[in-house]
Amino acid sequence: MLSDSEVAELLSFLTPSTRPDVKGQATEYILGLSGNRDGCRFLHSKPDLIAALFALTSDPSIAIVKDCYHIFINLSADETLHQVLVKDVKVVPVLFKNLLDPEYLFSDQICTILSNLTRHEKTCKILFKVLQEDVGMAQLVQIFCTEGYNKNAKLHYLGPLLSNLTQLPEARNYLMDKDRCVVQRLLPFTQYQSSVVRRGGVIGTLRNCCFDHAHHKWLLSDAVDILPFLLLPLAGPEELTEEENEGLPVDLQYLPEDKKREEDPDIRKMLLETLLLLTATKAGRQMLKEKNVYPIMREFHRWEKDAHVTAACEKLVQVLIGDEPEEGMENLMEVEIPQDVEEKLKEADAKEQEELEKEEEKRKQAEEETCSNKCTPS
Amino acid sequence: MASTVHSDSDDGMDAFMDKFKTQRYKNAFSENDWEEEFNKIPMFMKNAPEEIDPQKYPELACLQSIIHDEDRPPEEQAKSLKDEGNAYFKEKNYQKAVVAYTAGLKKKCADQDLNAVLLTNRAASHFYLGNMRSALNDAAAAKKLKPDHLKALIRGAQCCIELRHFSEAIQWCEDGLKVHPTDKKLRELRAAADKHKRAAERDARKAKAKEKKLHGEKEALLNAIKDRGIKLVQPARAQRSGSDSEDEDERSPAAIAELSLDGLSSQEVTGAQVFVDEQGSLQWPVLFLYPEHQQSDFISAFCENSCFTDHLGVMFEELPPWDADRKYLPQNLQLYFEDEEKETLYRVDPEMSLLKILQHKRYFVKAGTPSFIVLVKGSSYCKQFLSGRKIHGL
Repeated sequence: MLSDSEVAELLSFLTPSTRPDVKGQATEYILGLSGNRDGCRFLHSKPDLIAALFALTSDPSIAIVKDCYHIFINLSADETLHQVLVKDVKVVPVLFKNLLDPEYLFSDQICTILSNLTRHEKTCKILFKVLQEDVGMAQLVQIFCTEGYNKNAKLHYLGPLLSNLTQLPEARNYLMDKDRCVVQRLLPFTQYQSSVVRRGGVIGTLRNCCFDHAHHKWLLSDAVDILPFLLLPLAGPEELTEEENEGLPVDLQYLPEDKKREEDPDIRKMLLETLLLLTATKAGRQMLKEKNVYPIMREFHRWEKDAHVTAACEKLVQVLIGDEPEEGMENLMEVEIPQDVEEKLKEADAKEQEELEKEEEKRKQAEEETCSNKCTPS
Repeated sequence: MASTVHSDSDDGMDAFMDKFKTQRYKNAFSENDWEEEFNKIPMFMKNAPEEIDPQKYPELACLQSIIHDEDRPPEEQAKSLKDEGNAYFKEKNYQKAVVAYTAGLKKKCADQDLNAVLLTNRAASHFYLGNMRSALNDAAAAKKLKPDHLKALIRGAQCCIELRHFSEAIQWCEDGLKVHPTDKKLRELRAAADKHKRAAERDARKAKAKEKKLHGEKEALLNAIKDRGIKLVQPARAQRSGSDSEDEDERSPAAIAELSLDGLSSQEVTGAQVFVDEQGSLQWPVLFLYPEHQQSDFISAFCENSCFTDHLGVMFEELPPWDADRKYLPQNLQLYFEDEEKETLYRVDPEMSLLKILQHKRYFVKAGTPSFIVLVKGSSYCKQFLSGRKIHGL
């Protein structure tokens, strides 16, 4: 890579007083470095460079600032750099401060960086602490939910950020604070058409929240009423009988004939997983049965083509139409699974995975064949 | 020595005390109306009188003028008026409370907190009077003065809910929760408003679905009629444009809506309408007219596949009371329909099905109810009726 003297020279170019064209070339060069693994590893050993670059995010030239932010997006994507970024260069408080500014031009880039930094638990924990001290989770949700908060940024990547944060129980507890109105504000976004990133982030957040079965009763109650928001993206235009309609949650009754289902299969799978999580407790199972989730799933199953998603749907349906488990086993999350059974289940899972992948392959091949039949120039 | 001095005052005291034994003091309360009298003394009043007449209640009028003394600073006056309003509010005299708060606001004092309270309290008074819009306006004004005034925020949300402006209600709650994130009432109001909003959306969808279904059924019905080649006609008065009243080609929603298909113009207000039965046959409401006796019979559901003799047999099984000559026997009856445009009568073969007759090229179903004239074969009335008219057999 670069020699020490070259590094020193590069560093000298990264000061605010340097000529813009020289500064620009320096940042461009480093941007190139940050784009590959070796470059990142090199930069990892040069915290001074990173600090100088971060200082340049206040540079008057927008082009330079843009490059700098791109560098940081690349750096933050590499977990080995997280310590340097967060502990040595201390980027987080500044990033949050700028995020709060409704006029800031690079808030979207900030969201991406923060989202990258929170992917893994270790850095996520540090970040969450700073978040609570400087901004507060409530304010983050507020910014996320306020349409047009920042004219220059869409802030969609706050979705994955929230999703990552909720891997921490502290974050989940804050989001699901009964005395506040936080998680409720996220619910309408399960149907947010304009951004799959935002939508996916919200649904990921809700799924993580549902891992805490202590909160299930509250989540399913009127205070939050999470169920319709999970079902709506999975519900279609098919007409249900009057009886089936009347038993559904209000939001799912009499859906118009142009109702479309969620188009991203990964998101559909996440929704089904979330619903499955909610069946862990007896009360949850009862509520889902009472609210006629089964007919929705029945129509969904007919419509779904993706093998992985169908499998998730079938798992849910099995619980919905199956008998209640015997006494002592009612909370499915707390059941003790004996060692040998657990091993057999793991084996079965692995086998299922294999079969699903085979089916995917077959389907892809079939698609390609039909495609190649059609894709001839006319 | 000391006693001499004391004895003077003692004498006076004694004499004074003795008076009580013999004289009644003036202005005493009498036994029977002392409670009433008590109620007139400001300190012991249970309720304030509606009007304070200085002649009857001089002390009260005096107090009032002290309280509402124009020389006092506006803040003090406004505060007194606020207290007055609050007192009326407690008594549920909301009208008077509004008056008091309004007077307080008119003082335009500089204490914005006080003004916010006056507005919020007036909003509450309006709320209990059912004046939701006034209440909302006051709550909004209070919110403008003091964006964190909790009572104003709650009241605003409540008004919006009463006015069924649920999205607005949710906005009020969220604005409130920004400043008071843990307030229980705001949280509950938000959840309630959200629930109502979603229920209202469901109701709208349900109504739309129902309308669509109804529209579909109506269209299917009109198609069934058209497919059979039956011509429908609106009675003259119901026409929109002055043009020909043949509806057969008009399938626009306006035409379908206009087609009332129920009953005739005046006498028969039956609400009966042609419909498609389970076997896919049309069932028509049919009118039989007996011009000789100015009578009529109404069959609410005449299946298109039935013939007239079937019905006439039943209808005239027992001769009607108006048939004084006892001549309306089923086998003696002749049926006609009138082609108004060509002023022609067409004779109907009673063995034919209703459908066949309706399909006749000169038959026009008026007001959705086919009608037929019934005469007795060979009777003098019949001859008279038919003379001078163009008649066609079928």
